[in-house]
Amino acid sequence: MFSGTTSNGLMESKVRVLGRPSNLSFSMIAAIIGLMVAIQFQTVREPVVRDTRDTWQLREDLMKEKEFQSKLLLEIRSNEEKIAKYETERQQSKEEVLRETLAELKTEAGLTEVTGPGLTLSIVPAFNLVVEGGNPPSVSPDMLKRLLNELNMYGAKQVSVDGERVINTTVIRDINRVTKINGHSLNRFPIEIKVIVENSQVAEKLYNRMKVSSVAEDFFIDNLEVKVNRPESQLAVPAYQDTIRIRHMESVKTDKGGGNG
Amino acid sequence: MWLPIMGLIIGAIIGLLTDIRIPAEYSNYLSIAILAALDTLFGGIRAQLQNIYDEKVFVSGFFFNIVLAASLAFLGVHLGVDLYLAAVFAFGVRLFQNIAVIRRILLTKWSTSSEK
Repeated sequence: MFSGTTSNGLMESKVRVLGRPSNLSFSMIAAIIGLMVAIQFQTVREPVVRDTRDTWQLREDLMKEKEFQSKLLLEIRSNEEKIAKYETERQQSKEEVLRETLAELKTEAGLTEVTGPGLTLSIVPAFNLVVEGGNPPSVSPDMLKRLLNELNMYGAKQVSVDGERVINTTVIRDINRVTKINGHSLNRFPIEIKVIVENSQVAEKLYNRMKVSSVAEDFFIDNLEVKVNRPESQLAVPAYQDTIRIRHMESVKTDKGGGNG
Repeated sequence: MWLPIMGLIIGAIIGLLTDIRIPAEYSNYLSIAILAALDTLFGGIRAQLQNIYDEKVFVSGFFFNIVLAASLAFLGVHLGVDLYLAAVFAFGVRLFQNIAVIRRILLTKWSTSSEK
């Protein structure tokens, strides 16, 4: 009781009359205050315990996060795939470059058949000058070398003599009075020399130059005639058939890499 | 004596059990209203102890103070001035004064009853 204890009985009864309903309103208002405090307490405390999601919301959130995770994983995978692709591409390209280089080198070395614009020369015996019973005419190695030098001088790229490809290490020499090129005897006429040049203009130029070349006259001394045929747009020069022997060269030792050259 | 305390406890329990929440931006108003309500409550207790208690004054003062404090805070928010601080200050000072008066009255009564 808020009325307390008073010695005066009349006073006490008066206060009690006043106090009884006041107690009720006091209680009501106290309850309201308690409610407000509780609400405020919960509201203020909310940020601390803010996870009020129920199972379904949690499930949804989890789903969202999982989707995000899978998206990220997908991204990672695609990036990794890209990296792998680039890696393989790089390797392949390296290999490709090596292959290309090898092919180029083979072409340059004369191990492949080459087609292109060019012309053919035929060395035939000059029959009207052949003496009956005399030695059959033969191409001397010096003459042939001179002819090849002449051809090279005028822009010949690939040359074959009687089906034998002329490469850097080709030997033309006289063995037992038979002229041989790469071990192939040049004793059957006509000897056909195929020449491939850069393009048709060069072929035309070569044709003209060979027409007026003095080599033909030199061949004439040996009772041979050099016929220069018209340039052709497509001419095939065969590949060098033997293996190229390299005696004084060594491949550089490296840690890795294909040594298939 | 016990009935108001019971009411307070019951109100708090109801508030906690019903899980009522107000938006965070309104918690300022509620806090000022709580302050006003407490001020009124302690004013009522003091008035009772001084035997000048009037129920109409008490109940009307309770609601009026709450509304006034809340509207003052509202006005302060809209004016960009922290007007609720004025209410906090006023109610806080009154709260302390009331509690001091209650304490003195209770002390006096206790000393007089112990003298007997």
